[in-house]
Amino acid sequence: MADLPAPENQIIERFGPHAAYVPVGGWGAASDPDRRVPSHCCFCGQQCGMILLVKDNVIVGLEPWEEFPFNHGMLCPKGVNRYLQSGHPDRLRAPLVRAPNGFQETTWDDALDRVARAVRQIQAEHGRDAFAMLSGASLITEKAYLAGKFARLALKTRNIDYNGRLCMVSAAAASKKAFGIDRSANPWSDILLAECILIAGSNTAECSPITTDYVWRARDSGAHVIVVDPRLTPIARTADVYLPVRPGRDAALLNGMLHVLIQEDLLDHTFIRERTTGFEQVKEAVSHYPPAVAAEIAGVHAEDLVRAARLWGEAKTSFALHARGIEHHIQGVENCAAVINLVLATGRIGRPGCGYGTITGQGNGQGGREHGQKCDQLPGMRDIEDPAAREYIARVWGVHPDEIPHQGLTAVEIFEAIDRSEIRGLLSISFNPLVSLPDAGFIRNCLRKLDFYCAIDFFLSETARHADVVLAGSTQEEEEGIVTSVEGRVIHIRQAVEPPGQARQDTRILCDLAERLGAGDKFRFRSTREILDELRVASRGGLADYYGITYEKIDRQMGVFWPCPELDHPGTPRLFEDGRFYTGDGRAHFIPVTWHPPAEDTDEEYPIVLTSGRVVAHYLSGNQTRRIGPLLDQTPNPYVEIHPQLAAQLGVADGEPVRITSRRGSIVLPASVVTTIRPDTVFIPYHWGGRQSVNILTIRALDPVSKIPEYKICAVKLEKAAAGAVPAAEIASLSPRHHV
Amino acid sequence: MSEPLEFFIDPMRCIGCQACVSACRECGTHRGTSVIHLEVIDRMRTIQTTPMVCMHCVDPTCAEVCPADAIKQTPEGVVLSSLKPRCIGCENCVIACPFGVPKYDALPDQMMKCDQCYDRTSIGLRPWCATVCPSRALYFGPRSQVEAQRRGKPLNRFRFGNEVVETKVNIIVPEGVDEFVFDVAAHISEGMPHSVADLALAASAEDH
Amino acid sequence: MLLRFNRAALFWSVLVTGALVAAIVVGSRRLQYFDAALVPYTFASIFTLFGLTYHYATWLQRPPTRRYWQRTWEQIRQGNVPLRLGLVLRRLVTHILAQSFIWHRSRLRWWMHFTLFWGCVLAALVTFPLVFGWIHFATVPGHPYVYQIHLFGFPAGTFAPHSLLGWVVIHMLDFAAVLVLVGVGLSFWRRTRDPDALAVQNFYNDLLPLLILFAVSVTGLMLTFSSLWLRGYYYSFLAQIHAITVIGGLLYLPFGKFFHIVQRPAQLGVALYKKVGAEGESARCACCQAAFTSQMHLDDLKQVLAELDFHYEMPPGSAIDHYQNVCPRCRRVTMALTQARISGREFL
Ligand code: SF4
Ligand code: SF4
Ligand code: SF4
Repeated sequence: MADLPAPENQIIERFGPHAAYVPVGGWGAASDPDRRVPSHCCFCGQQCGMILLVKDNVIVGLEPWEEFPFNHGMLCPKGVNRYLQSGHPDRLRAPLVRAPNGFQETTWDDALDRVARAVRQIQAEHGRDAFAMLSGASLITEKAYLAGKFARLALKTRNIDYNGRLCMVSAAAASKKAFGIDRSANPWSDILLAECILIAGSNTAECSPITTDYVWRARDSGAHVIVVDPRLTPIARTADVYLPVRPGRDAALLNGMLHVLIQEDLLDHTFIRERTTGFEQVKEAVSHYPPAVAAEIAGVHAEDLVRAARLWGEAKTSFALHARGIEHHIQGVENCAAVINLVLATGRIGRPGCGYGTITGQGNGQGGREHGQKCDQLPGMRDIEDPAAREYIARVWGVHPDEIPHQGLTAVEIFEAIDRSEIRGLLSISFNPLVSLPDAGFIRNCLRKLDFYCAIDFFLSETARHADVVLAGSTQEEEEGIVTSVEGRVIHIRQAVEPPGQARQDTRILCDLAERLGAGDKFRFRSTREILDELRVASRGGLADYYGITYEKIDRQMGVFWPCPELDHPGTPRLFEDGRFYTGDGRAHFIPVTWHPPAEDTDEEYPIVLTSGRVVAHYLSGNQTRRIGPLLDQTPNPYVEIHPQLAAQLGVADGEPVRITSRRGSIVLPASVVTTIRPDTVFIPYHWGGRQSVNILTIRALDPVSKIPEYKICAVKLEKAAAGAVPAAEIASLSPRHHV
Repeated sequence: MSEPLEFFIDPMRCIGCQACVSACRECGTHRGTSVIHLEVIDRMRTIQTTPMVCMHCVDPTCAEVCPADAIKQTPEGVVLSSLKPRCIGCENCVIACPFGVPKYDALPDQMMKCDQCYDRTSIGLRPWCATVCPSRALYFGPRSQVEAQRRGKPLNRFRFGNEVVETKVNIIVPEGVDEFVFDVAAHISEGMPHSVADLALAASAEDH
Repeated sequence: MLLRFNRAALFWSVLVTGALVAAIVVGSRRLQYFDAALVPYTFASIFTLFGLTYHYATWLQRPPTRRYWQRTWEQIRQGNVPLRLGLVLRRLVTHILAQSFIWHRSRLRWWMHFTLFWGCVLAALVTFPLVFGWIHFATVPGHPYVYQIHLFGFPAGTFAPHSLLGWVVIHMLDFAAVLVLVGVGLSFWRRTRDPDALAVQNFYNDLLPLLILFAVSVTGLMLTFSSLWLRGYYYSFLAQIHAITVIGGLLYLPFGKFFHIVQRPAQLGVALYKKVGAEGESARCACCQAAFTSQMHLDDLKQVLAELDFHYEMPPGSAIDHYQNVCPRCRRVTMALTQARISGREFL
């Protein structure tokens, strides 16, 4: 029974979020650090380099790392403030167990024993797959690898999935189909050489701020920028062509662009003929989307669409970028494919200045999806149902191939199985589904249905408040490891500090648990370096081949782009340079796409489209950034962006409360009345839980292939709410806002 | 000798991320207090934002109007923040600075302003805001590089009514502009000009 | 050379110094109680006062300072006088005596400044009256263990040197020295590690005054040490060294960092000025209409700017007549708007 062990406000007072403003040791601490540790930001997939200043085992400040080639010292506000999570008062410093009046600290032995006992009991009664595991895409790759191995060999469950399921999987599936490999095809330096840049569904300036610099520098040298987004974001503000697409109509719009390219013969016929398959089917598919039709569906002007297509078609070099805006759909994979079709039709890939990339959002969005914590994968981006892959990995792990469970359920499906009582126990690590999954009311009910829930985390997240056992884990800066950035560049995370108090490194927690579950012999790692060494072998020969990557080599080269199959291999910054793709036939595959409406289109009763996304000051479910004072101050609460036309209809002025209701729930937020959004669409940022959560409204509809939820569209109705109806922020009353 | 590094500002590039606002707090000469400005111009109408750092006037109005002689210029021409023993919190500088730079804080009863991270720039490091800014709306580097990479040119001559102010910091303007005239009248009558994107969205809003 | 002197300042300096000389003569009963051994101190003090007055007077001639100076005296006599005096007195206690504003700048600086300030004040309160012969002690005839205090020649209480009170009175300067040394120590500590201090400090303005205070305090304490425990060993030599440090400090007073001591009370006038301004009409921004300061402040400032030869007036026919009618926020915004307008596009 995983209801809350105490009233929520009591839990919040004790475990936060509290807002921290001043580093431990005061503002002066950073002027006299014990150590300066070059490392990377933990708050998005770009993984900006920065130097952490450490004093008395706490990160007390930072210094720009201008030599790191990706960001040259540039940072967004999350990066600048990330050190404030070190030594934070909310930090879990000991394992907790559920007690009659809230949580109670306990010993590691007791906590781990309880978890092992619960796993054994549930699995004995309901079968192995009745215990599931959810992990995170912000974890270093060693942890991600270990999580996959732990689920399969220690928990022996097929049901492990990760929160990259909410993030990267649509793009991954499309890339895999089209190119045979799932990675941004180019280093970002190719953006600088592009004559035309297409940005579809990416609020680049806020969600991947440093990428802005690449786009702006390309513009300095004359590049044209096309932005597809229902909101006029900062990157859209200066676009040469801005296509304010109606949410859920991207495929039609992109098909329309390809239609123009075909009509006006702006194609690379040689490339299509020699390097691809499936163009004819795509040609047929897009023939139904002449500009007028496509524009009509997409809610944009046909001339703009044509102009965009021509800019793209006439350029000699180009770069296509997309992100969750086109991926968070039941048609997410197809939307990505529609972008890839544009790239392939013009043959602009595998050359300097010609590229394609999906912008990963999570800290290790790329590396976290390559080495086996996805329900359908084994390390090295291997297919879990491929017998050869199973055999290879079984050998590395020292088990029989049959001992490796088969493909399991994806993240949302795991909750649906909990709802059906098929899954009874859950272990999560760095995943906050109560805030991050759609249809939050449903997720909360599922948590109540669990027989046992254990959360490994370093702050008590909204979801962890429901746990039976909470294991105090480690942050990014507390373990050495690797992460793969948005470019496919593998980088080195140096350990800057030790976990505080009795908190333990995540890898050690998993190894300790494995020991208790009788799989200790497979988890005798003394360091993450040893895990990396096993991972290197496990990935060898796979698509994501890390065999040639070591911490030292990364330091020497300022990162290594995978695949890197040998120790003396320099890595592969740009893919497909030899014209070969990683598909079975070596060719790139066009994928025909037909637009279809979203899962829940608007109607009389729910006439407005709701879309959701990020703001620059917060990261994912906000479990970290809502505890960092300056970031919280920058965006303290969610709001709903409404066009003045809609606001006038509703009779609300800027700042006034609005009730937003979908078929699943209802929330009240202050209106932010702006002309920078379509009048038929409203937007709410998603980093908050409780009554401030947009996911109370969102729909639990999944892409049939990638199983990504359709966060970007559901139907809502709006009405003016009573003054004072806006819920108060869920934040501890006493913020340690001390001065020194 | 290597080329000296200069400060360039280019508000058009700003994406409103506020990295500069947080980074300014890290500056050693005033760690814990951010003195940079980031203005949301008119959020209802546009997403455009603009930063403001001290322009480091050659003949600083702020220092001249200070009754307490609290604002000093370094040999490099950096106009420092108020000297703490001297500043009497009168706010003359706050109101007089033509760029709207100095900030007054009531509790310490003191003006604080951008000193171009003097602890850093005086030893060859780049200022915090201009290092982290992901759009290069704020940039600190060699002039030759800026001239080679960007369109337009750097300018450091401003006009406010009959007053011409020269500064150490440059703004990027189109070729052919030799004096940056603060256009207050247009500000009053029109506000932010509409961009291509604004018009595209407005057009589709009309269809709606 | 003399001609280049500022006449008004010279006038005030002569006047004030003259007044001090007169006060010394009168206060010491025509030098009856004047201690000849302290003559060098007296001369240094007179010279210092001359310098301070001169510097102060020239400072007051700067247009912005003069404006505040005039306003303060004007405002303190107008309106609800008790209320206004009350404000000034309250500020005197909170800002000058307790230095609360420094507390808000930094705790460390407050402790540093508070100890320095009170150490110096204590020392000054003891030293100057003694030097000027305004206070002297005499034994009471028939009571060898009781001292009589004379203030300006009038008896003003007695004390026994071996009582606790006596001990405190006699060692007052030692306490002052200890306070000052604490402040100097804190200041040095800060100045060797605070990046701000390291970046902007210079020897003449920031370190020299600390060295002077350190030298004065240490040599002063050594005098006590010598008389208490070394039976006066080297006493007169030390006394000379001490005198040199004190006189050096006095002579530094009008020029360097210590000048802020006489500048600081201007803060009281500013507080009053702001209060009066807030009660009056507000200046509203010509662009956004928001109130941004008092109309009095804006008008004064415009005049000050004109006196300083700045020309922020707009040319005839402009939408507004003076650039200073625009609030600071609108100035910042105008920069971006202007850039967008002259570029004619969203991105160069
Ligand atoms: S969150 Fe992303 S953009 Fe911001 S500093 Fe971190 S890695 Fe860079
Ligand atoms: S860091 Fe740069 S882009 Fe971000 S708000 Fe500041 S000036 Fe604008
Ligand atoms: S920009 Fe303003 S604050 Fe900076 S030097 Fe000029 S007048 Fe002073």
